[in-house]
Amino acid sequence: MSTAKKVTGTLAIPLLTALVLECICVMNGNHVITNLKSFNNFVVYTAIVMITTMALSINLNSGRFDFSLGSIAALSAVTGAKISYAMLHGASGSAPVMLLITVLAGALLGLVSGLIYVALRLPPIITSLGVTLIFEGVLYTFTGGKYVMAEVQNASMSGFVGTWVNAAILIVVILLAMILIFDHTTFGYNYNALKNGQKVAVNTGIREVPNAVLCYVICGALMGVVGFLNAARNTNINGGQLNFGSISIMFTAFLPMFIGTYISRFSSDKLGFLLAAVCMSLLNSTFAVFSNAITASVQSIINAVLLVVFLIYLNNEQLLVGTFMNRGQKVKA
Amino acid sequence: METGTLKKKSGGTAGRHLVDLLPFLALAVLFALFCAIVKGKGYRLDIYLKTIFNQGVVLAVVATGAIFIYTLGSFDISLGASTLFAATMGVLTYNATESLPLMLLAIFGTAIACSLFSSALASAFHIPAFVTTVAMLSVLSAVSAQIITTRGGSLGGIGIPKPVVKPLDNPPFKIALLAAFFLLCFFVFQLTKAGRRQKFIGGNLVCARLTGISYNKYAILAFTMAGIGVGLGAFLTLVYTPSVTATTASGIGMSIFVAIVFGGMPISGGARSRIHAALVGGFSYILLNNILELVLEGGSAYGLTQIVSAVFFLAVVYVTSMNYRTALLPR
Repeated sequence: MSTAKKVTGTLAIPLLTALVLECICVMNGNHVITNLKSFNNFVVYTAIVMITTMALSINLNSGRFDFSLGSIAALSAVTGAKISYAMLHGASGSAPVMLLITVLAGALLGLVSGLIYVALRLPPIITSLGVTLIFEGVLYTFTGGKYVMAEVQNASMSGFVGTWVNAAILIVVILLAMILIFDHTTFGYNYNALKNGQKVAVNTGIREVPNAVLCYVICGALMGVVGFLNAARNTNINGGQLNFGSISIMFTAFLPMFIGTYISRFSSDKLGFLLAAVCMSLLNSTFAVFSNAITASVQSIINAVLLVVFLIYLNNEQLLVGTFMNRGQKVKA
Repeated sequence: METGTLKKKSGGTAGRHLVDLLPFLALAVLFALFCAIVKGKGYRLDIYLKTIFNQGVVLAVVATGAIFIYTLGSFDISLGASTLFAATMGVLTYNATESLPLMLLAIFGTAIACSLFSSALASAFHIPAFVTTVAMLSVLSAVSAQIITTRGGSLGGIGIPKPVVKPLDNPPFKIALLAAFFLLCFFVFQLTKAGRRQKFIGGNLVCARLTGISYNKYAILAFTMAGIGVGLGAFLTLVYTPSVTATTASGIGMSIFVAIVFGGMPISGGARSRIHAALVGGFSYILLNNILELVLEGGSAYGLTQIVSAVFFLAVVYVTSMNYRTALLPR
């Protein structure tokens, strides 16, 4: 594939999305990004979507369905918030300390989830159901089912998401780390081998169990970052998410995951996830512009329709291309 | 679908029969335990049993219909949202027409249409059925929430007059409904070619296709049966509580997973699918949760209940699947 085609293919969807959404906003006398505050929100939301999508894709691409991502994000964030508040009482430096603890807590929860999976040797969809219920139960017991607010409402936290710089740093660091880990290490090579041919990979001597556990640890750490960013952005953490109330977070990552996978045909899948997150964030910013007219329910419907439409295209691409080419040839003839 | 090679098949036929009986034994033990705890605490057993039944019957009918989808090796997480949407449509229809038959028609029509729409979308456009159900979950929840909040106002819900369904709110009627639906499902699942073919598809889709079995045809049948279950669930929900809020039936979609597994059926479907799994598992799950809530009284009881329930769930699945361990990590 030529470089020009790669660049065009990689940037086509985000540029087209930006163009269409900007046109819609301009027609209504507005812009997608109206000021510095909306730009800050745009970058923070991009970070949240990109990291969630990466966490979802690590296990899902390996055939492991993981419902526990949302519960890990919430429980690790509550752990980070409680410990950092006990240490600093919301003083300066609370945000970086909470981020660090939340990532560690997320990694630990991911480790627990992974160990349960490899120890029980049950289908991951079943273990993740159990793990989700356990983590939600711990979260509820820990918080009494209430919102955690005082611990995350301080100048340090609001300052962290009050500027786009911190979120941008997180995006760059995590993107580079993911590229390094999954594309340039023995772990990454083994992961890709197991992903594409589990039985053959195991027969060639690749140790599947440590690889799977490490995948869960990385997912947990990533969801820790998501939990922190959500806590800072929403200024609270919902501690009462019982009966699978936490799983909706993973559904928000489906569309960017499929878009990212499509973009990866022309570049890397990690870059694809970033660009897909940019698209979702642009859409989110447009929703914010029309917040008076577009309710949360309508936003959900639009997102679901986009998911289905994109998948219809993705799964019928050859058919559509063939149909258009045939029509073109008929017109020429 | 089963992946990897079987490491061992221990225990022989007797062992497997014992494992097959475990869900029934678990249900019996949980029932006895529940009765003992309620009696021990000096509460009225009849009232508690009625509550258990009312909670369990909705989950059992929706999950029994869903068995057909799970047997194919697919799953549908939008069933809770479909139940809410069907109930919402039922309420709107009754309030517009004041006709119970039309309400029933609206409930079942909506439920089957939603289910078939998911299936048709997946079949016509070659999308994984699971993804269409994710989209349906979002759409149906959002539309229902929009209708309920718009029409419910400050009450936060919409409903029908209680006297309309009061005569139906009794155990004999609900048991008859549950039995009729179960027998229909049992007949289709166990005694027809369609049921056997569905298990074949769930066990090995490639082989099934090579023998000329159409996946789409049986997927449509599966989603239709699930739609009937959803319609019944929505109707029974309205009979028990003649109003709907945005959170009505919200937990059903995921509880079905737990109920089916509790009932001794693998989520991967196939030949080991059991039509009774949802009925047995659904009531077991509801009994377990209620036992734990009775034992673990206090502010954080709900959280502890869920933790113990989840550990029990994993333990049950681990024990019942001991004969089916694979050398490779399952996916």
